[in-house]
Amino acid sequence: MRAVMAKTPRLELAAPAIPGTPLLELKGISKTFPGVKALDDVSFAVWPGEVHMLLGENGAGKSSLMKVLCGAYQADAGEYFHAGAPVEIRSPADARRLGIAVIFQEFSLVPYLDVAQNIFLGREFPSKIPGLVDRRRLYREAKAVLDRIGLDVDPRTKVHTLGVAQQQMVEIAKALSQDARILVMDEPTAALSDRETERLFEVMRQLQAKGVAIVYISHRMAEVFALGDRITVLRDGKLVGRALPGETTPDELVRMMVGRNVDMTYPRRFATEPGEVVLEVTGLCAKNGIADITLKLRAGEIVGLCGLVGSGRTEVARAIFGADEVTAGEIRLFGKPKTGGPDVAAFAGVGLIPESRKTEGLALIRTVSDNLAVAGLPKLFPNMMFSPGKARRSAEELIKRLRIATPSPNQSVAVLSGGNQQKVVIGKWLAAGTRLFIFDEPTRGIDVGAKSEIFALIDQLVADGAAVLMISSEQAEIVHVCDRAYVMRAKRIVGELGRADLSEENIVRMGMHDE
Amino acid sequence: MSDQALSSAPARLRIPAVPGVAVALAGLAVLFSALSPGFLTAGNLSNILVQSVILLLLALPMTLIIMTEGLDLSMGAVLTLASLVLALIVVSTQSLVLGLAGALGVGLAFGLVNGWLVSVLSIPPFVATLGTMGAAQGLALIVSDGQSVVGIPRFIRQVYSGEVAGIPTPILIGAGFYALFHVLLYHTRFGTYICALGGNRDALTLAGVKWKRLLIAAYMLGGAMAGVAALLMTARMNSGHPTAAIGMEFDAIAAVALGGTSFEKGNGWIFGTLMGVLTVGVLRNGLNLLAVPSSVQVACIGALVIFALFLDGMRSHKS
Amino acid sequence: MSVAGDISTGAPRLHLSQDMQQLLYRLLAAGLLCVALSIATDAFFTTNNILNVLRQASLLFFLASGLTLVILTGGLDLSVGANIGLSACLAATVIKATGSPVLGTLTGLTAGCAVGICNGLMVAKLRIPSFIATYGMLWVLHGITYYYMAGETIHGFPPGFRQIGSGYFLGIPIPVYLMVGFLVAGTLFAQRTVWGQQIYAIGANPVAARLTGIPVDRRLILVYAFSGAMAGVASIVFLARLNSAEGDIGEAMTLPAIAAVLIGGASLFGGVGSVFGTFVGALILTLVLNGMNLLAVNASWQPLVTGVIVIFAVWLDMVGRRRS
Repeated sequence: MRAVMAKTPRLELAAPAIPGTPLLELKGISKTFPGVKALDDVSFAVWPGEVHMLLGENGAGKSSLMKVLCGAYQADAGEYFHAGAPVEIRSPADARRLGIAVIFQEFSLVPYLDVAQNIFLGREFPSKIPGLVDRRRLYREAKAVLDRIGLDVDPRTKVHTLGVAQQQMVEIAKALSQDARILVMDEPTAALSDRETERLFEVMRQLQAKGVAIVYISHRMAEVFALGDRITVLRDGKLVGRALPGETTPDELVRMMVGRNVDMTYPRRFATEPGEVVLEVTGLCAKNGIADITLKLRAGEIVGLCGLVGSGRTEVARAIFGADEVTAGEIRLFGKPKTGGPDVAAFAGVGLIPESRKTEGLALIRTVSDNLAVAGLPKLFPNMMFSPGKARRSAEELIKRLRIATPSPNQSVAVLSGGNQQKVVIGKWLAAGTRLFIFDEPTRGIDVGAKSEIFALIDQLVADGAAVLMISSEQAEIVHVCDRAYVMRAKRIVGELGRADLSEENIVRMGMHDE
Repeated sequence: MSDQALSSAPARLRIPAVPGVAVALAGLAVLFSALSPGFLTAGNLSNILVQSVILLLLALPMTLIIMTEGLDLSMGAVLTLASLVLALIVVSTQSLVLGLAGALGVGLAFGLVNGWLVSVLSIPPFVATLGTMGAAQGLALIVSDGQSVVGIPRFIRQVYSGEVAGIPTPILIGAGFYALFHVLLYHTRFGTYICALGGNRDALTLAGVKWKRLLIAAYMLGGAMAGVAALLMTARMNSGHPTAAIGMEFDAIAAVALGGTSFEKGNGWIFGTLMGVLTVGVLRNGLNLLAVPSSVQVACIGALVIFALFLDGMRSHKS
Repeated sequence: MSVAGDISTGAPRLHLSQDMQQLLYRLLAAGLLCVALSIATDAFFTTNNILNVLRQASLLFFLASGLTLVILTGGLDLSVGANIGLSACLAATVIKATGSPVLGTLTGLTAGCAVGICNGLMVAKLRIPSFIATYGMLWVLHGITYYYMAGETIHGFPPGFRQIGSGYFLGIPIPVYLMVGFLVAGTLFAQRTVWGQQIYAIGANPVAARLTGIPVDRRLILVYAFSGAMAGVASIVFLARLNSAEGDIGEAMTLPAIAAVLIGGASLFGGVGSVFGTFVGALILTLVLNGMNLLAVNASWQPLVTGVIVIFAVWLDMVGRRRS
């Protein structure tokens, strides 16, 4: 099945007939790390002025390819051609000379330096006095570059005071100032609001018009089809397909990325009658800015919390969990009023699965077993005496029940895939006897193949009588999985959508306009 | 993830709103002027400045090192060793230049070792400089045989007690190095890269900057300044003593932290360090004038450091 | 489901035996040291000397064991040496005033613990970095102690009390029994109680620990209180051994205690280390210093050697972990 998919002739012929030589061409690039072949004979070409979409699951080789392109990694084998002529990329300086600029998801900005210093990092202008930097020229040139992309920011501003969208613009300005002809961007819209995304696309169009090629890594099918001129798919370090957006479908791309048919129907058995009220929030206000939040959750329900980026959904979750301080209003858990921090919430049976599981949900240097046990310690060992044997048995049970892919419970949790790490986070709350699960972006950073497993898990949780509050920026997820949803805007709840009214359009409409 | 306002508010010089150290400095100055008539005299203020210079010479490079998310615990011990070496050389050769060369040599050597341990072997700075601190302490004891070195010629003492155009020499030395560090941090590529070393080292690698040698340079700068401070200290004490400056690195770290430089992210402020040093100096001086026993003085410095950091911590949590 | 195996970390590694391995290497090092010293000098392998080493190691261990818990949470307690001073002087005063060693001991322990709680409050509630908070506390304690003692010495304690430091039971110095006791208790606490597991979790990731329902503030105060209480224990044993109290007792013990913890394999970043490791670290350090004494090496070399050992041990540890 895989072989057939990969060798479908129609896809191979999809290399477009653009006249002229490609701006940059990679042939047969391979890169091996101990134990893993990150890139396996990958050939890739970029033409001026195009938006080339690069797709692939986590671990497929996209970030390795990016690092090879910018000179941070050196390929073990393969050749590079720039405008037809053979070249070498052995260092970041080489890449820069060829006009390649890469913008990573985490940004390469120094927070306490200003915009100009960041743009010209490593390329400062010497002044007439030896050893000193010509600061006036620095700011002048920076302003010029900023004007070119229409970013109205004083170049003396410290970067850490800027919002994510502006920081990204600074990165683009940095690339431009290096006369980049090829811009590689990694999930650029992941942290942007819709308005900021439009701005970004504007700038991209300007760059395209000037002949700059953009290699764009994204998981969002909508963007891939709206922006892309050509699509390349990687899987397990190999190039498995090329396509034109007009000649393929999202399902086909997903199939190429995953290598098998993926059932993207969200597994969900809707309860006919939800149970008792598990969570009741009235007029909640918190230090993080949310105001007048009122909502209700019953056992057996999955309730969504939606809205645009910045509408306050994570803040509501944190306030309910006790991670942020509440200033007014009431929270009732299982009928009893709840005040206090996360330790009170956890003991009462609430669990939070945070958006950034690596920094907020897991202790990466500890084992799977440790991480699975940590929330349930007071419940598993009420007399405070810890038994490693009992903890391991509990862990083994959870690993089996949740089908966590790990060779042993003593495996370091850091090497697990995103999906399995998420299962560990869910598992730790199961061990604690949690009855109310709060998910913040449950499938963020998880491969397509593992997403439905996570949803199946969530479905099982409520089938067993728990209640789930789910925050998600993917409207499709909310629509397919939730019984109902609250919509937020500007740190307040602006409406509730019942099962019948739950649609992507309604969510977006409510979240954006005055209604 | 909460949205941040899409404003383009320019931030000029990095002056935080009323930093804790300014409050502490001003508060203490007011307090002591009220309690002691002798505090606010030109002579006394000059005294404070002179006595603070040695600490300033250590705190300036410490600021840079802390900005790289590092630490140099060996500065006090290196200063002691350097001052002993200087004293011994000067006593036997009667040459200021040779003595200073010796002190600088000691400082640079230890700086090189520190830099190499941190940068090449990637040993956490706390551990690396803890080790070299022990080494320097030990060498100081050995070189001096546990005794003070006396018989320091007058021209050395002049460095501390002399004047140029009516201004005490130490103040000129302090001001000069402050200016040097200001230029270094804000007007050279080195300064920019120091900030980047703490803020985002990967950005430097991607920009093609060889930062390992810069990190070593930062620690060597610290060592060199310890050498310079050694000259002043020997001059002040009129002797070389094997346990003279033990613990001074903590004062330097406290002054830097007081001044607002944080231990992560490359957030540094030279003027803040200056204020931190002066605050410690004012405190000591004021307590001296009030004839408070030195033991209690010491307790007050501790409380002061805690207080200033508490204020800063409160403010950063509000934002 | 994606295949496990992150590109950047390479092959998966087994976590537990890694720590065991490191401990074994350290025990081996201690053993080799003993062998080397026995060969180098006849004076090493005598009953007297071995007992001496054990007694010295136990003094170091008291302090280092409390410090271990603090370092496990990713913090530091620089005030322990000064804490010994204050607690010892207060205890001495009470013994002299009431003639009761029991009251004196209680005073010392309470004082040490109280200081620790203050440290814990500063770190947990006021959110002052532990490095600075305990450093400030160090100065405050010094100041109070020196002012209180005003340069004098308190000496002459009841013989029963002195047994704690200088006495023997079945031929072995009493402090050694105390050390074994605290070693067992400390290891049990860290590895076999819920609190211990939570402390490791806090060190590994304080943010995640809080969001997992661990009462981080309470646990932090607990570990600093422990550290202070162990300083109190050390102060009592010091008093009993030296039979006198001065303002600067214990001043020089802070850094060797930290060294012992680091040599024992704990990481300054938290989440890694063990009380038993600290015990081995204290043993190694004491053996080296003892050997230097016996070989008539100038005592001035001691700080240097300590420094070099710490760097070497940490470096070895890092290399070992990186390779897997």
